[in-house]
Amino acid sequence: MAPGEKIKAKIKKSLPVTGPQAPTVKELMRWYCLNTNTHGCRRIVVSRGRLRRLLWILFTLTAVALIFWQCALLILSFYTVSVSIKVHFQKLDFPAVTICNINPYKYSAVRDLLAELEQETRGALKTLYGFSEITSRKRREAEPGDSAREGPGSKFLHLVPLLAFNQGETGKARDFLTGRKRKVSGNIIHKASDVMQVQDSKVVGFQLCPNDTSDCAVYTFSSGVNAIQEWYKLHYMNIMAQVPLEKKINMSYSAEELLVTCFFDGVSCDARNFTLFHHPMYGNCYTFNNRENETTLSTSMGGSEYGLQVILYVNEEEYNPFLVSSTGAKVIVHRQDEYPFIEDVGTEIETAMATSIGMHLTESFKLSEPYSQCTEDGSDVPVENIYKAAYSLQICLHSCFQAKMVEKCGCAQYSMPLPREASYCNYQQHPSWMYCYYQLSQAFVQEELGCQSVCREACSFKEWTLTTSLAQWPSEVSEKWLLSVLTWDQGQQIKKKLNKTDLAKLLIFYKDLNQRSIMESPANSIEMLLSNIGGQLGLWMSCSVVCVIEIIEVFFIDSLSIIARHQWHKAKEWWARRQAPPCPEAPPSPRGRDNPALNMDDDLPTFTSALRLPPAPAAPVPGTPPPRYNTLRLERAFSSQLTDTQVPSES
Amino acid sequence: MHVKKYWLKCLHRLQKGPGYTYKELLVWYCDNTNTHGPKRIIREGPKKKAVWFALTLLFTSLVCWQWGVFVRTYLSWEVSVSLSMGFKTMDFPAVTICNASPFQYSKVRHLLKDLDELMEAVLQRILAPELSRVNATETLNFAVWNHTPLVFINEQNPQHPVVLDLFEDSYGGSTNSSLAPERSCSAPRCKIAMRLCSRNGTTCSFRTFSSATQAVTEWYTLQATNIFAQVPNKELVAMGYPAERMILACLFGAEPCNYRNFTPIFHPDYGNCYIFNWGVKEKALPSANPGAEFGLKLILDMGQKDYVPFLTSTAGVRLMLHEQRSFPFIRDEGIYAMSGTETSIGVLVDKLERKGEPYSQCTVNGSDVPVRNLYRNYSDYITTYSIQACIRSCFQDHVVRHCHCGHYLYPLPPGEKYCNSQEFPDWAYCYSALRMSLAQRETCIDVCKESCNDTQYKMTISMADWPSESSEDWIFHVLSEERDQSTNITLSRQGIVKLNIYFQEFNYRTIEESAANNIVWLLSNLGGQFGFWMGGSVLCLIEFGEIVIDFVWITIIRLVALAKSLRQRRARARYAGPPPTVAELVEAHANLGFQPDPLRRPSCASRPRPPEQAPPIPGTPPPNYDSLRLQPLDVIESDSEGDAV
Repeated sequence: MAPGEKIKAKIKKSLPVTGPQAPTVKELMRWYCLNTNTHGCRRIVVSRGRLRRLLWILFTLTAVALIFWQCALLILSFYTVSVSIKVHFQKLDFPAVTICNINPYKYSAVRDLLAELEQETRGALKTLYGFSEITSRKRREAEPGDSAREGPGSKFLHLVPLLAFNQGETGKARDFLTGRKRKVSGNIIHKASDVMQVQDSKVVGFQLCPNDTSDCAVYTFSSGVNAIQEWYKLHYMNIMAQVPLEKKINMSYSAEELLVTCFFDGVSCDARNFTLFHHPMYGNCYTFNNRENETTLSTSMGGSEYGLQVILYVNEEEYNPFLVSSTGAKVIVHRQDEYPFIEDVGTEIETAMATSIGMHLTESFKLSEPYSQCTEDGSDVPVENIYKAAYSLQICLHSCFQAKMVEKCGCAQYSMPLPREASYCNYQQHPSWMYCYYQLSQAFVQEELGCQSVCREACSFKEWTLTTSLAQWPSEVSEKWLLSVLTWDQGQQIKKKLNKTDLAKLLIFYKDLNQRSIMESPANSIEMLLSNIGGQLGLWMSCSVVCVIEIIEVFFIDSLSIIARHQWHKAKEWWARRQAPPCPEAPPSPRGRDNPALNMDDDLPTFTSALRLPPAPAAPVPGTPPPRYNTLRLERAFSSQLTDTQVPSES
Repeated sequence: MHVKKYWLKCLHRLQKGPGYTYKELLVWYCDNTNTHGPKRIIREGPKKKAVWFALTLLFTSLVCWQWGVFVRTYLSWEVSVSLSMGFKTMDFPAVTICNASPFQYSKVRHLLKDLDELMEAVLQRILAPELSRVNATETLNFAVWNHTPLVFINEQNPQHPVVLDLFEDSYGGSTNSSLAPERSCSAPRCKIAMRLCSRNGTTCSFRTFSSATQAVTEWYTLQATNIFAQVPNKELVAMGYPAERMILACLFGAEPCNYRNFTPIFHPDYGNCYIFNWGVKEKALPSANPGAEFGLKLILDMGQKDYVPFLTSTAGVRLMLHEQRSFPFIRDEGIYAMSGTETSIGVLVDKLERKGEPYSQCTVNGSDVPVRNLYRNYSDYITTYSIQACIRSCFQDHVVRHCHCGHYLYPLPPGEKYCNSQEFPDWAYCYSALRMSLAQRETCIDVCKESCNDTQYKMTISMADWPSESSEDWIFHVLSEERDQSTNITLSRQGIVKLNIYFQEFNYRTIEESAANNIVWLLSNLGGQFGFWMGGSVLCLIEFGEIVIDFVWITIIRLVALAKSLRQRRARARYAGPPPTVAELVEAHANLGFQPDPLRRPSCASRPRPPEQAPPIPGTPPPNYDSLRLQPLDVIESDSEGDAV
């Protein structure tokens, strides 16, 4: 033998065997089944009889299938939430309370701006309904020379003509201004007809035309009241959009005027505790408990004495007759950093009544991605927040609409804040904005603008559930003294004796200090998932991660390398045969176990036959090779440590 | 006997030495444990051994970490809630009805006469100072006034506010002559304040109000409280509105009821209150159907004409729904019903059932709260614990402790008296200081615990005008006839109230807490984790414990052996102290012909002596563990091998 081969043999002997230790895949499988930690496989090998073996194969496969199924279910249900509701009795922060007069501006202050519009409105009312000013209200004496200015006006009716339709002849309409019938082209949109059947003979509406007046849209209403109010509102917004903010604030009510008395938690408060908030449609509103750089007030007792008590002065004589048709104030309870959407969610307060509003606080917390689609602070919503307030769904929708408005119509709608680099719509600059706005709001309501899909709800919100009850105030017997003292209180602001219909009393308080929090929490954690999977594995097969690693090792690494080795040998044989085709010395089949050439190879006879044989010398003695599967033999686990004890036991 | 035997065995074992070395023990453990990792470590080749060793360590630490997580989750005592909603037959809530005015003015007029006159004078002074100066003061009773007067504070000069008594001349440092023309002060410049003085008027504080309305109302309420506190309870009840005058008609479901079905209690704020279906004496009435037809219908007269004019400015009926046997805190949780209207109230019972300790800090009946519940025996009716009752009792305790008298609005602790100006001159000062102190309120909130079963009644309120104009005449006629047996109409739209209280279509919403993580949950998760990573079970833990015990045992035996050998060495060292004597000693025991090698001698301590020398010299015993070595293991192994073949 060559010295090179000798060294090779020596190395092979001294270094442990690498690679899989079973000669064939079948042996490997058998070895695996006997030695694995999972329970089914061993039975397959150990069982006697074909039927039994088959049954065990079946059971094992079923168990494997069940494990896969159950684990898939576990993983699929991973992102579920569990909801917990907690009720705590504790000291609560008092919410911010925003109070507005329903009428935005003092009519005496805005009359100059609205004089023409008012005059035309009255004119339209007269031509259509025969409404005459004499019979209406006491306000008329304050109006100077009403009919004198009849001549030049009617620019509003020119811009947006009010029309009356007669049922049957859809193409024709009567113009209020001229009284003539004129042809109406374009589509007619019935504001009410989708919801209910209008069988009235007379339908009132107004016509909106874009710049080129070719494509007009007519909006009709079932009642003249709605039509005239909408028509008035359009023009009103147009006029007010051109008035600067300071002037508007001055035209509206001051805090001292609105709030006659104020009492919070047993302590007197006054106008200084309120912050001004100017709302385009409600004028000056005042927010209690929203002062910057001041601690939020809190209540440590429930009940009306410990809440906010205010008496509001609502001067009905200063109301705008066409813009608002109800009297009173509006109040909204909200979070300090939240924008009060008073036009959407306010509670109305009646005059000459004590309105007591008991609150219950509910806090909700949702889990954001990946559990639900909510957003924590709105930073991941692709809509710019034009309000100076914390994110809410409402804010997002309004901001989205305003952005579309600026994009499509080129100007901003008056009742919402201004986005950057935009101005409010008015006739002078944007003659067709009204048509555009109506089209857009139609599309918005029908969810065509995509705002509803872009905006997401906020993850946490506070909600105050209100219980409102009314009582008569002031009572008959206390009316006399109370009104006179209140008049004294108002002193400088007003120069007349207060009437009880000018006043409203409002009490806002926590009914009790129970805070209800609704919290979502993940139903599963990664630990739970693993332990559940572990439970499944253990239940069906007594398997663990170790078994999984075993399976990977045996089925993928070992068996593949065995197959690869087989192929390698075949290739080698084939190559050797091709190199030396006639070789009389060597036996034709090189696979015999007595072949000395094979001695150095890893591929060895089955270990059961070699088990009892003594280790063969390294010298090239023809004979059975030594067993190399030391580690495969169970007792060999101790061979290195326990040589001394093994000798007597084996001998 | 057994103990002795056991100890003998121990001794024997100690002498014989341990069966294993550490290494043998470890190998044996790894080969025979049921956990999956360790077996691999010893069965594989050296490379895989290392990999498996690392893996086993990793998995063990993972299991330990996850167990920690689970145990901590378990010890956080979380609860899960279940919510159920629907309709079922339930006890109809107790309904408490009060009038906004506590007393009939016609009956308390004699008590309030002085006060009312004073009040009118005050109002006159405020509204028209020039007129009132002439006819003022001679008939008024100034005893009440002087105790807590109302004052003007003129804040025109913020540095030197001028304080003026409404009736007398100025206080403070400024002269009164120059101020005389300024006595007529109007709202924005002048504030009205209440002067509260402590004992002997040495320290005074002003309670300011932003409006005169509040000031006079608060002042009047304070004085009236003072007066009523001195009147015995029985007389107060007689002065309030009697049930037969207030409750005109009553219908529960289809059954008629009348004022006798109502339990009267006296409420300091609202006078006589009447509770329907309170359940203190009789069984609570159930209601088995939703809808207004099956609820409670009431017609009430609140007699607005007879209100005390300065005490209450709001007119209405105060009502509240609450649980049976609980005290109605109607001032906090009550709602108003307006006169001349029909108020319909749909009820949803919102119930919360908490789990007690250790899940949350709630109390079942208040016995474990360190505050005596003063409402427990409220005018001979036993009421249940509620956190409102606890907070009020706590507050009253504070008032008694600081001001030495009880406040009129809360029940009295036994042996105490209600505050009044005659006996406790500085109570008003003390009380208002206490009421303003936030610390006091917060201590009460901290001390009181929530009750475990909490019921709220959610109400849906709607109103309509009642009676209608066309039915007004006959309704008033019939009701007047029934109540006063007179043909004249004694009722008016200003006083009459109709109430409908009924269950909604869904009448309950119950939130029930249950333990989110119980012991079964914990065990199954611990098992799951252990099984997932290592395929282990409790038995594996026991195995491990066994090995630890064996380890300790081996250590003990080794230590004992070490100690023994040390002693022996020391003994030898004593002999070998001076080298010559050792040599002599050795010579004495040894073969005389043998010459000791001087070079070998010092290092010979641990060397085994030749057998001839052994008996006389104590030395290390020969190792004799052979019989104990791993034979049983081999037997097991061969067994398993036989199986495998």
